[in-house]
Amino acid sequence: MQFGARTDTGRVRENNEDSYRVAPEINLFVLSDGMGGQASGEVASRLAAEAIIAHCREATENPSLALAGAPVEGVSDTSNRLASAIREANRIVHDEANKDDTRHGMGATVVAVWIAEGRMSVAHVGDSRIYRLRAGEFEQLTQDHSFVAEQVRRGLITEQEARESKMQSVLLRALGIEPEVEVALDEQLMMDGDVVLLCSDGLTRELSDEQIAGVLGESKNAKEAADRLVDLANQAGGGDNVTAIVIGSTRKKMGFLARLASWFEGSEDLF
Amino acid sequence: MPKLVLKFKETVLKEVIAGAREVSIGRSPDNVLVIDNPAISNYHARVFAEEGRLMLEDFGSLNGTFVNGQRVKMVELKEGDSIAIGKHTITVWQSEEGAEFVAGGDPSRPAPPKIAETVVLDTKERREFLQKVAAVGESAQIAPSRFKVPTLVVHKGKTDQREYLLNNKLTVIGKSALATVKLKGWFKPKVAAQINRRDDNSYYVGPADRVPSVNGQPIAHPTKLSSGDIIEVAGVRLEFVYRN
Repeated sequence: MQFGARTDTGRVRENNEDSYRVAPEINLFVLSDGMGGQASGEVASRLAAEAIIAHCREATENPSLALAGAPVEGVSDTSNRLASAIREANRIVHDEANKDDTRHGMGATVVAVWIAEGRMSVAHVGDSRIYRLRAGEFEQLTQDHSFVAEQVRRGLITEQEARESKMQSVLLRALGIEPEVEVALDEQLMMDGDVVLLCSDGLTRELSDEQIAGVLGESKNAKEAADRLVDLANQAGGGDNVTAIVIGSTRKKMGFLARLASWFEGSEDLF
Repeated sequence: MPKLVLKFKETVLKEVIAGAREVSIGRSPDNVLVIDNPAISNYHARVFAEEGRLMLEDFGSLNGTFVNGQRVKMVELKEGDSIAIGKHTITVWQSEEGAEFVAGGDPSRPAPPKIAETVVLDTKERREFLQKVAAVGESAQIAPSRFKVPTLVVHKGKTDQREYLLNNKLTVIGKSALATVKLKGWFKPKVAAQINRRDDNSYYVGPADRVPSVNGQPIAHPTKLSSGDIIEVAGVRLEFVYRN
């Protein structure tokens, strides 16, 4: 596994309210986009990202660490741990937001992936996104918890109308707003050659899917891809903070046995 | 806000909010309400708001537009009116849904900058919003198969079971330790394909080390499964069915 990450304030904002934290020793990657006045957005995203990493690291040392919230059925222990970490982060940001008036209303989005034993746990809250490039196919793995995305899913407006809507920045879920949060959880296989991108909306509002997929497919490595994505978003206007984490699984050459197998595949009767 | 409910016989096909934006009706796919039927003109009619009244205008369509049995050119709509176009009916209902949530919103208000400060709907607002969109969303999305158990039945090939209940978010087909559908045989791929359950409880099959086919068509993208679909990959043939 190799990764590259970069965050930038952009060309319009004065503060960077995005945060990212990684725990490469356990293949855990977290990105958060904060909101709230008087620099509280920065605090919210940093608290969220750090809390998630801390909870997962602690659980790796001590698997019997209590889960925050009820376990979800039909997913791995790793996925349940990741969801637990996000619920814990929600509690921490919510507590901080209610400490004093200057922090009132602060919150954050989060996207996180945790890769273990060939399986990738994918979790998110809000409108930061996770994408995957696999064998030339570019796919969004998360569904935004935003007002316009929900309208598109319900068939009320088109994708184009969503991109032009003045309601784009209205979220339906975020960390820190309420005492409890519902975490969207999914699992995917991690295959040789897969490239996974975690990003804040500062990237996806500036660049098209085609541009992003192009950079992921053409870059030499994950670090270069993350740098180029952030540079391109800034060149396109840099209207918001922009953050990208790119994760690449190392591509293996197809071995002799695998090649042989692909010839015989389907001829079940032979064996 | 008024809403329009499109029905064919007794089946609700679609519901849309009217008034905040013009609802165009016709066979062409760029209409808001698309009715795919030869008896409907490409651009058949429209429903729009004028001075606080909800109006229906027929665009001189070949087969006409009828409100409560009368052929009309331009007419004001009232709650409970039934618009007949071909064999389809559109009923007008008044609902409590707020204008502030409708796409487009108030056109007299100036548009804010493209990237505004992010805000989150609080609990009450969000609950009201979700109730609204649930009321006007496509009813067809709530699959009748909701209370049935999704199952993979093995028709051909060597696997460790003949049937698999799809209880998990991720179901892997292959030789890997991760696999639910375990393939047997020396030359089988570790992970041939994957099936994902999405948040709306629909199931998608997608490629992994191999490109599976669904009903004979190779699929490069994750593809939604319907009951009775046949999945073929790495020498096995599986049927996806909803069991009672």
